[in-house]
Amino acid sequence: MLQAALQQGGDFADIFIEKKMMSGIGCEDNKIERLTTGIDIGAGIRVIAGEATAYAYTNDVSREGLMHAAEVASHAAKGGGAVQSIDLREVLSPVEINVELRPDQVSIEDKVEKVLAANKHARSLDERIKQVTVGYGDIVQEVQIANSDGDYVEDERIRSRFVVHAVAADGPVIQTGYEALGGVRGFEIFREKTPEELAQNAVDRALLMLTAKPAPLGRMAVVMSGEAGGTMVHEACGHGLEADLVQKGLSVYAGKLGEEVASPLVTVIDDGTISGKYGTIRFDDEGVPGQRNVLIDKGRLTSFMYDRFTARKEGRASTGNGRRESYQHKPVPRMTNTLIAAGDEDPEKIIKDTQQGLFVKKMGGGQVNTTNGDFVFDVAEGYIIENGEIKHAVRGATLTGNGPEVLQQIDRVGNDLGYAIGTCGKEGQGVPVSDAQPTLRIASLVVGGTAGGSGTDDAEATGQAGELRRISVRELLQSGEGRIRRL
Amino acid sequence: MFAMGELARQMVERAQSKGAQLSEAYGLDSKDLTIEVSKGVVETMKLAEDRGIGIRVFKAGKMGYAYTSDLSEAAVESTVDRALANAAFTGEDPFWRLPDKVNQYPQVDTYDPAIAQVSVERKIELAKEIEATARATDPRVKITERSSYQDAEYNVTVVNSQGIDATYRGAYCGAYAYLVAEEKGDNQTGFSLSYGLHFEDIDPKKIGREAAAKAVRMLGAKSVPSRRVPVVFDPYVTTQILGIVAPALTAEAVQKGKSLFAGKVGQSIASGKVSIIDDGLLPGRIQSAPFDGEGVPTSRTILIEEGQLKGFLYNTYTAAKDGAASTGNGSRGSFRGTPDVGTTNFYLEAGDVAPDDLIGQISSGLYVTEVMGMHTANPISGDFSVGAAGILIEKGRLTTPVRGVAIAGNLLEWLDRIDGIGNDLTFFIGKGAPTVRIKEMAISGN
Repeated sequence: MLQAALQQGGDFADIFIEKKMMSGIGCEDNKIERLTTGIDIGAGIRVIAGEATAYAYTNDVSREGLMHAAEVASHAAKGGGAVQSIDLREVLSPVEINVELRPDQVSIEDKVEKVLAANKHARSLDERIKQVTVGYGDIVQEVQIANSDGDYVEDERIRSRFVVHAVAADGPVIQTGYEALGGVRGFEIFREKTPEELAQNAVDRALLMLTAKPAPLGRMAVVMSGEAGGTMVHEACGHGLEADLVQKGLSVYAGKLGEEVASPLVTVIDDGTISGKYGTIRFDDEGVPGQRNVLIDKGRLTSFMYDRFTARKEGRASTGNGRRESYQHKPVPRMTNTLIAAGDEDPEKIIKDTQQGLFVKKMGGGQVNTTNGDFVFDVAEGYIIENGEIKHAVRGATLTGNGPEVLQQIDRVGNDLGYAIGTCGKEGQGVPVSDAQPTLRIASLVVGGTAGGSGTDDAEATGQAGELRRISVRELLQSGEGRIRRL
Repeated sequence: MFAMGELARQMVERAQSKGAQLSEAYGLDSKDLTIEVSKGVVETMKLAEDRGIGIRVFKAGKMGYAYTSDLSEAAVESTVDRALANAAFTGEDPFWRLPDKVNQYPQVDTYDPAIAQVSVERKIELAKEIEATARATDPRVKITERSSYQDAEYNVTVVNSQGIDATYRGAYCGAYAYLVAEEKGDNQTGFSLSYGLHFEDIDPKKIGREAAAKAVRMLGAKSVPSRRVPVVFDPYVTTQILGIVAPALTAEAVQKGKSLFAGKVGQSIASGKVSIIDDGLLPGRIQSAPFDGEGVPTSRTILIEEGQLKGFLYNTYTAAKDGAASTGNGSRGSFRGTPDVGTTNFYLEAGDVAPDDLIGQISSGLYVTEVMGMHTANPISGDFSVGAAGILIEKGRLTTPVRGVAIAGNLLEWLDRIDGIGNDLTFFIGKGAPTVRIKEMAISGN
């Protein structure tokens, strides 16, 4: 197959064969509305010749179907070396992933029971809760990857997710609360948090926002809780450190390797090897084992994130960040689990030392323009800080800033670390990621007010760049993008 | 193409014979071509074939769904069986039904055979011409993030146990450019796109010029102090805001208490200048089709007329619940999901004022050309706060570029405060809007 793909020449070819089984359950209006199971099979064949990439994919994974796709790809990328024989050898990964309770061996009844438990508990907590949406989703993805360098990988990825979304209303005021759980794990995720606990968190947040005051506007100090999740690190620097954007000059961090790009208190790491996290990988989607990469070391830019294509261009090795949503997409450099490393300060003290500002307890989604570094994200749960104390809750705050400027302005870093999970979108393909940061303070950031809630569906005509969505229930019911009309 | 109709009929028959009261198969078979050019060479060429089928079954008032892109006999049979098994666990609902047989579907132009006949070389040339035009427009256009051509051809098949057995073929094509202009270490992006049913309608020079002009005019952008001023939104940003309004105009959102328009039919909910329409029959638009994802004929639905809320979009289920008729908005983007209520060609009707005149009447204001984080707007309360960039309006003219500001508001207030609508309705894929002017909004900056 690979030889057929390279018959017209080319420097590199690979094939990605996938079989994915998914199941999704959606509960709304106090009943199980949807229960979907799906089988997706397909293969993508890629040929790289110099700067050009040809990619063909098909659902027809018969020998003829694959040969046809290989030929299509070979005609689209020509030139370069001659075909040589390729001996495949299996690549092993040091990353171990243990799934205790495989979702394909858990009955539908048991999955439905968890969903109903969260729904029932959320609805029992307060009469102001008007709507509860609960979603469960799991994926078992088997992949085979082979390339013309002779690497061969077989991998199985198992992921589980659970989300609870609550809507609270009091007179004309309507607010929402959200909580999610997920990982490269099976049904054992519920040992970390029960459906009832997740429901409780979502409901508490929605009720709190009912009594919250509108967020203040303007520049102020912002303290982000260690529980807040890492939307900021994902947007403020994560996307800008992806090598494809850097090489094209589309990142504010391009050309700054070795330079001070952040406060010395800041160390940024992308780590695909952390056990059980939502962005953890045994292998990336090019068959490279997951790695831990220090991107910013005490303020100094030390590395970008590479896939094979971008690494080849610089004559270096991939960092294990070549990821794709499915066989329908060509791999591009993507984050895995991205975090700002914990510091050594007591989080309480950081708040105490802040005279006036905003305390962000939970972040929502965000978006970044990597070219100029401007980003925005919304605050799902925020409070006013006055004289070193956390006061009333505020709703509708969004934070607007510029990545490099904000990283320089981080002046306090706590000794805690908290994760959040999400689906990261780039070039129209979503991959599972997690992000984390410790409690930290940004000396000054623009706060905009009067919005709130965690929107989910992106408008059809959104721009380029990267954006992080928190997982919606609808997403759990549909695997892959599969839209016939996409940009 | 593949015999999807036959497969769909077999699946429906199997479901019915195994005890389904109602069943429906939806098949999609598509081919896509994407060409991306940078620095005058093809950077990526992608050819894709995607096909699969999903089946919805109803048994004792309960719905189950399963899909597969493995079209082998065994996989297809097990997909029907899984759908039936799934139906055992969902909630009972008296409003589940499937549409009846339709004798005549509307004639809609969806397929131009010319797209497939144009050579790949010519399509590559088109993508190259966009980039070349952009670079020739201004020397400060330094980076092409993407200059791209794309087309697709697809077959949609719907078969149900009520007698619907329908199929249509569609195709569309389009091109877009994302560029970066650079000056004194400052990088700014610009983009432009054009999608339609006909290859001849794509104007690569216009796309290139527009994307270049948009990037260049943002060079040197800075934040400004907070202020309350009139704000003009360009068609692209207005369309993004409409993207948040659209879900709230579906009966699904209303019935679940998630729409800010619930209970307001007949009321004035927007400025008298505002009319919003969904039209699945609009000639020349790529979301037009003879029928929706359930086989119901598409239609033109006026949602807001001169500020007054007229009604909502329906699929078969939400229509049954309200005792209404489906508006042909049972949308499904893929065989991988069940039909939701969705839009077809959804747009804010054009006014009669030239965009320049909308700006010309403002002594101090902001022209917004980019918003970030629109997807974080709260679709229930309508509150939004987004990062924004654009150009200052001073004495009726566009002057200095602005970025790093936030604008906040509420969708209902936004609709109500529209005091001018341009005559420049522009479509971005499935949604479109003209330039609009808002009387006054808060801008937070430095």
